[in-house]
Amino acid sequence: MCGIAGIAPADGGEVLLETLACMGGAIRHRGPDGYGFFTAPGVGFVHLRLSIVDLSGGAQPLTNEDGTVVVTFNGEIYNHPELRRELEARGHTFRTRSDTEVLVHGYEEWGVEMLHRLNGQFAFAIWDASKRSLFMARDRFGIRPLFYTIRNGRLYFASEVKGLFASGEVPAAIDPAGLDEVFTFWAARAPRSGFAGVQALEPGSWALWRDGSLTTRRWYSLNYPEAREEPLDALGELDELMHDSVGMRMRADVPVGAYLSGGLDSTITSTLAAEASPFQLRSFSITFEDPRLDESRFQRAVAESIGTEHAIAAIGETAIGNSFPDVVWHAETPLIRTAPAPMYHLARLTKESGIKVVLSGEGADELFLGYDLFKEVSVRRFCLRQPESTIRPRLFDRLYPYLADGSRGGEFWRKFFLEAGAPDDPLFSHLPRFELTSWIRQFYAPDFAASLAGTDVRADLRDSLPEQFPSWSPLNRASYLETSILLPQYLLSSQGDRMAMAHGVEGRFPFLDHRLFEFAAALPTRSRLQGLKEKEILHRWARRILPDSAGARPKQPYRAPDASSFFGPGAPSYVQELLSGETIHNSGVWAPRAVAGLVKRCQSGRVTTFRENQALVAILSTQLWTQRFMNNPIRSAALDVNGADVLIQNKAGS
Amino acid sequence: MSTLEADVRARVRSFLEENFLYMRPDFVLSDDDRLLERGVVDSMGVVEILNFLEDEFGVKTADDEISEANLGTLNAIGAFVASKS
Repeated sequence: MCGIAGIAPADGGEVLLETLACMGGAIRHRGPDGYGFFTAPGVGFVHLRLSIVDLSGGAQPLTNEDGTVVVTFNGEIYNHPELRRELEARGHTFRTRSDTEVLVHGYEEWGVEMLHRLNGQFAFAIWDASKRSLFMARDRFGIRPLFYTIRNGRLYFASEVKGLFASGEVPAAIDPAGLDEVFTFWAARAPRSGFAGVQALEPGSWALWRDGSLTTRRWYSLNYPEAREEPLDALGELDELMHDSVGMRMRADVPVGAYLSGGLDSTITSTLAAEASPFQLRSFSITFEDPRLDESRFQRAVAESIGTEHAIAAIGETAIGNSFPDVVWHAETPLIRTAPAPMYHLARLTKESGIKVVLSGEGADELFLGYDLFKEVSVRRFCLRQPESTIRPRLFDRLYPYLADGSRGGEFWRKFFLEAGAPDDPLFSHLPRFELTSWIRQFYAPDFAASLAGTDVRADLRDSLPEQFPSWSPLNRASYLETSILLPQYLLSSQGDRMAMAHGVEGRFPFLDHRLFEFAAALPTRSRLQGLKEKEILHRWARRILPDSAGARPKQPYRAPDASSFFGPGAPSYVQELLSGETIHNSGVWAPRAVAGLVKRCQSGRVTTFRENQALVAILSTQLWTQRFMNNPIRSAALDVNGADVLIQNKAGS
Repeated sequence: MSTLEADVRARVRSFLEENFLYMRPDFVLSDDDRLLERGVVDSMGVVEILNFLEDEFGVKTADDEISEANLGTLNAIGAFVASKS
């Protein structure tokens, strides 16, 4: 796991080491263990290393035997030993034990087709001197990030956007459509970002830069070839895949730990990791000081039952409020919730405990239909088949008992779900969420709203859906939207990669092994969601492998305090200034009068609803984001070129 | 229509404008507008209205009185509060 950045001028011009040193300096947190440079006519790479595999020999950038293929790589190729044996049998000579080197030889041997052989999480760039081309690629689910932009005939890329800006050659500006996506979908959808002209390489895609032109292609697409019946050996296959996926993700030359929330998914990954670990597994969780949200008792009980050495970071509103500017700096986007902040603190605890690789349970809810949203789809469709029924909508009370609370409110929620779109709308499953999130858009400043004339992000999404989409079942359509929007662009990035890498911690996600995804996507949906019982097959299988005392906790939504972190006693001092009428006016996104009304309600403690909480977080995070990124040069310390572990400088003709 | 009803309507209107329509300065709220349907309040908003009526007018509302008929519009709220006084 690492950070990468680079520049490729179309005219074959020189790339200055000093520029690369500035780009690398801005993302140094991703790879604090070392760094290296490569320059040649028409290209320059920098690599920041978090050393996990081949601690002594894995420094980058790395080349092939004759130096004509050079890679800078962020991520892990879990099946590198198997690929290495295959490549050695075909005559390739390896100089290191690192997984990075299989990319170099794999590219030589198979070209683009190499990607299909990789089991891992990765973003990398390969310079092919013989073709004078730059090849970039990203893993199937978008676990590792990669951003790029083209300015004045030069391609710039980096693991984080701040790396691009730190070059001093890429100005930062807002992309209104990107922000409109954030305030509809929770995140901009790749290739869009919140920054004008800055693209995210889409998950499962590659890009080729040659002769000043960039071609991008998708090399992996989600598909749902749903079977009518569950295969007889489904549990056996799931067992084998889970063990193999976790086993592969335990491959490292440093101790591997685990995030353990006490829920089913992380209990599974931690149990299998504890079995596979040669040491007592270290596990980590976050909890809240607020007793109503405190889950430490469950977490300790689960840790004890599977025998891990567990550490808990307990945080409160003050910690969230104080760290929020750093959280936004690392997330590089406005946010809707403060939920990334606890993950930031969790990564810090992990790092301080001496662990830099953790297994985590992300992906299980998407694969096995664990979210309430999937149940909502079933209930909404069921109700809409008999719109006059007053009994059917009572199912929402079972789905969301905390919303049904007495007779107050339940009726509204039922209406809310049933009036949010027709079942034949491709976005049917997600319309209640999009509607709720879009409420934020009422706070737009008139000029900002005007700049969005002609932009319809929901229409863009509908237009982007794959050809097979209508042929999938409603639940698989919902699963596709969740797996292609929120998972890569929010959960794995704002809440995942960016928060972990802020502290140099690498997350690994056993459920996001593509073989497991393909297994789950081919199951009948009732094996995943049976009535209102989520992750049915996963529960069935987990009974075989989990200790009896584990996994008893009911599913909990992941909640973090929002607006209350920024008001009242102990509120951080930056809040008042950033939300003042003048600052709001200057940033140009929000209407000062509307924000003043919301702030007044926050100050009086009246803000209790989800939509006002999210609006406050959205507005405040946008203010932090514009303050840190717009009109402000990135002032990270540049790397010292003389201290590099690797320095490869190929001059013209050499 | 009583003075009390008019007073209730005016005070609830200003409460709604300050707490629910602050981000929509151009929104014109008529006495017959359905508050839920027009997106003026959501379910939690109804709870806030109930608390406001209790604080301002001393009106206690039973669960079975929480309905569109009693609380759905400014006119309905005015009539409801007047009937309880």
